Amino acid sequence: MNFFYGFMGCLVGTLVGVLPGVGPLAGISLLLPTTFGLNPTSAIILLSGIYYGAMYGGSTTSILMRIPGEAASVMTCIDGYALAQKGRAGPALAISAIGSYIAGTASVIGLMLLAPPLAKYALRFGPPEYFSLLVLGLLVLGYMTGGPMVKNLTMIVLGLLFGMIGIDHFSGYFRFSYGLVALGDGIGIVPVAVGLFGISEILTTAGQSIRPEVIKPRLKDLLPSKKELRDSMAPIGRGSLLGFLIGIIPGSAHIISTFISYAVERRVSKHPERFGKGAIEGVAGPESANNAASCGALVPMLALGVPTGPIPAVLLAALMVHGINPGPMLIKEQPVIFWGLIASMYVGNFILLLLNLPLVGIFVNFLRVPYKILYPTILMLCVVGVYAVNSSIVDVWIMIVMGILGYVLRKYDFEPAPMVLGVVLAPIVEMSFRQALAMSAGSYMIFVQRPISVVFLVATLVMIILALKPLVKKGKDWRERFTKVEKDEET
Amino acid sequence: MGKTRMTKDRLSGIILLLLAVFVMIETRVLPLGTHSRPGPGYLPLLLSSFLAILGVILIVWGRLASSWRSVKWSEGLHALAILAGSVFTTLTLETLGYRLTMLILMVFLFGVMERLKWWMVFSLSVGLSFGSFWLFDTMLKVILPRGGLGF
Amino acid sequence: MKLRKSIVFLVTVFVGAGFLGLVHNLAVAQEAYPSRPVQVIVPFPPGGVADLVARPLAAAMEKILKQPVVVANRGGAGGAVGMQAAAVSKPDGYTLMVALSSISVIPEVDKIFGRPQTYKMEDFAPIALLTSDPTILVIKKEAPWKNVAEFVEDAKRRPNEIKYASSGVYGTMHVAMEMFAHAAGIKLRHIPTAGGGPALTALLGGHVESLSGGPNVSIPHIKAGTLRVLAGWGGKRLQALPDAPTLKELGYEDVEFYIWSGLFAPRATPPAVIKILREATRQAVSVPEFKSAMEKMETPISYMDADEFKKFWDKDAQRLATAVRQIGKVE
Repeated sequence: MNFFYGFMGCLVGTLVGVLPGVGPLAGISLLLPTTFGLNPTSAIILLSGIYYGAMYGGSTTSILMRIPGEAASVMTCIDGYALAQKGRAGPALAISAIGSYIAGTASVIGLMLLAPPLAKYALRFGPPEYFSLLVLGLLVLGYMTGGPMVKNLTMIVLGLLFGMIGIDHFSGYFRFSYGLVALGDGIGIVPVAVGLFGISEILTTAGQSIRPEVIKPRLKDLLPSKKELRDSMAPIGRGSLLGFLIGIIPGSAHIISTFISYAVERRVSKHPERFGKGAIEGVAGPESANNAASCGALVPMLALGVPTGPIPAVLLAALMVHGINPGPMLIKEQPVIFWGLIASMYVGNFILLLLNLPLVGIFVNFLRVPYKILYPTILMLCVVGVYAVNSSIVDVWIMIVMGILGYVLRKYDFEPAPMVLGVVLAPIVEMSFRQALAMSAGSYMIFVQRPISVVFLVATLVMIILALKPLVKKGKDWRERFTKVEKDEET
Repeated sequence: MGKTRMTKDRLSGIILLLLAVFVMIETRVLPLGTHSRPGPGYLPLLLSSFLAILGVILIVWGRLASSWRSVKWSEGLHALAILAGSVFTTLTLETLGYRLTMLILMVFLFGVMERLKWWMVFSLSVGLSFGSFWLFDTMLKVILPRGGLGF
Repeated sequence: MKLRKSIVFLVTVFVGAGFLGLVHNLAVAQEAYPSRPVQVIVPFPPGGVADLVARPLAAAMEKILKQPVVVANRGGAGGAVGMQAAAVSKPDGYTLMVALSSISVIPEVDKIFGRPQTYKMEDFAPIALLTSDPTILVIKKEAPWKNVAEFVEDAKRRPNEIKYASSGVYGTMHVAMEMFAHAAGIKLRHIPTAGGGPALTALLGGHVESLSGGPNVSIPHIKAGTLRVLAGWGGKRLQALPDAPTLKELGYEDVEFYIWSGLFAPRATPPAVIKILREATRQAVSVPEFKSAMEKMETPISYMDADEFKKFWDKDAQRLATAVRQIGKVE
């Protein structure tokens, strides 16, 4: 019986995840009332099925249409879509499913074995640690994503600024909202991601009379080649580990793990110039990281009863409605439920793999529909998907504005992905910074007094030195290095 | 040193610089606080300063990029039309209601822009607008706007 | 040929779905209230207190009203976004709102900042009070204070040293704590976080020393022994925590703070519709599924019908307004 619930959850989750805008949160909130009548184990199996399913589904639209199904799939849009353009959509989807499965399973094992000690460790992450981690993350991003560093940094800063629109939780002031209360909460990540990627893609591609060659995939092209599988294994491993560790930290967004994974893969690769043009590692890594982070995010929730983000918060609420209070007592007092949950997560991952691999064949057929029929459909789905998140028409406006921005940015050779990250991180970065200072009553020493924070700051310094190294070596060429990549693209 | 070219990067740099200045002006009303108690204006000011610096960097080294005229806008008109349709949709979504608005948008895109056969335009538009409504509103229970005419 | 086929297939699917929707719509004639789905706006992101009350309530009311009752989350700006949306929505009874006590706080804060009012409390017609939890003062088990007196004494000795977390400036946790601090004449250091969850995390991680929050999220930890409760902000002791004295008992007059949730409709909703809603809510709170859901969450139901609720609301709003004015502008 529970298997049925798991299956339903995964199915609904995948479908919900495929729709742009509507994400796991919507799906879970949707089915929450129906779970009230079920017993707790079934309820949580259903809900976590939706959670994972949506994560899987989100990658589908990223690969096929360059629209992030939800914010965490943004990185997959880059190389995933490029692969689809080359006729390798099937393998991209398949690797994404396989990678997610491996990552999910590994994380569940990690959760099983290490939940309580990990959770305690994760609690030691306070505002100063967050801030240092995020600064490191942002810098890593600027350094390692494609394109000249100056442009990436610009995108990050722009994203950070956009992220500051709205109410400031520290002082109660409204910033840059021009009296519109709807902007009071800032511009959401969903309209930004869908607009910057999806809408701009439609605007760019719809009118082109000479369509870029979209190779229609044949049946044998649906499965990944041996080489692709081999190339993906290491990224999957790295992505899983990275995702799990980042996911555990309370409050962090999963999206960070995907960005860092992409950056790491790019750095580690022997041919970094392939990234952006269809490198399978650019799909395998982030997708695994994403799934592992989703799982990792459940660790503090289950072990300590502490929600790490909006989705675990809803899952926590769902558990509470059934009278289960996750926390240190859960493993001791109700081991059946705890292990039931773990088992359901493991099974859920497996179900999704079984579900998604055949679906690859179906989804890939989307590419056969001529674009002139496809794009109005996509446009409609974007509008309704973005509207549905908060029943807010302002979100749709934001999406349109972001679409225009994305269109222009592409013309001027700016990579939009870092901006999305900036928008997501801005509130956290600022809040952590001010919280840390509030905690220390104004002393900046707090950042170096706490060991974890110091580690990150040192790493940041190392990164900065590495970035500046070419400057020191060849005086003149460093200027070119900033703009070099751009020239390559033109030839 | 020949005459200075206006390149893509320089243009973007200028725009960014202007944007940075704009943000700095807008943050005037927010209290900056002190270094130990940063106010709401602190980080925005810091960031817009970074942005200004980055803009200047782009202007100075944009010399090496290609000319701004090399940016192709060939699909621009088409994109503009799509945008116009989207703007219209957003304006009327809550007054005309979801289904009617989407219907109009679809007819516009399929019929006017893409010039499909009339029966395709009809079936696709009706199907998509009403079908998606059914999917989201009835099945997924996401309440979509119903306009004045009940649609 | 294959291309044609797939297009025809797609078209058929969509047209079929489309006509289904059309027929469905025509079948629902315009009748007595309610004849369409009712939307309940929750002005907070999913998973919060308002949500946890609204969803079981919606499920219960659905059976009574015989129409779908759908919860729509419209979070933002501490609830301001959703509340404003509800205030200006069509007063036909198809848009309701479940809001928390912060409904009384936001207009005050607007006044302090000299902003145009997001909404006015008069924009809403109260239908019923649903739950009402006093907040509790929670500390870590390792903390040195055994009771409120020791806490206050320590705070007097080192002003602005003891830290507490809140869900955001002018949020429920902030106002409650400041109310107490003002009455006790102490100064505590306020660390705002992004919400109730992060605030609790901050306490558990030892980054702050105390907080004033809703009982239901803290009780599991109190039972597990990781946290301790020093006092409650209620008029009476909590059933779940009989050993925790109320601040009132300890001599802090008029320091009462409840995180309550209530059902509201726009002011101009026709009285006949409001009557139906009041009756439906009265029945809904007695529905077994609703009761058990609330019980499992350790949230006692404190149902009050509209008139009683209005009195409660007014009194509470006055208390809150005073507290907020005392806090003033946080610099």
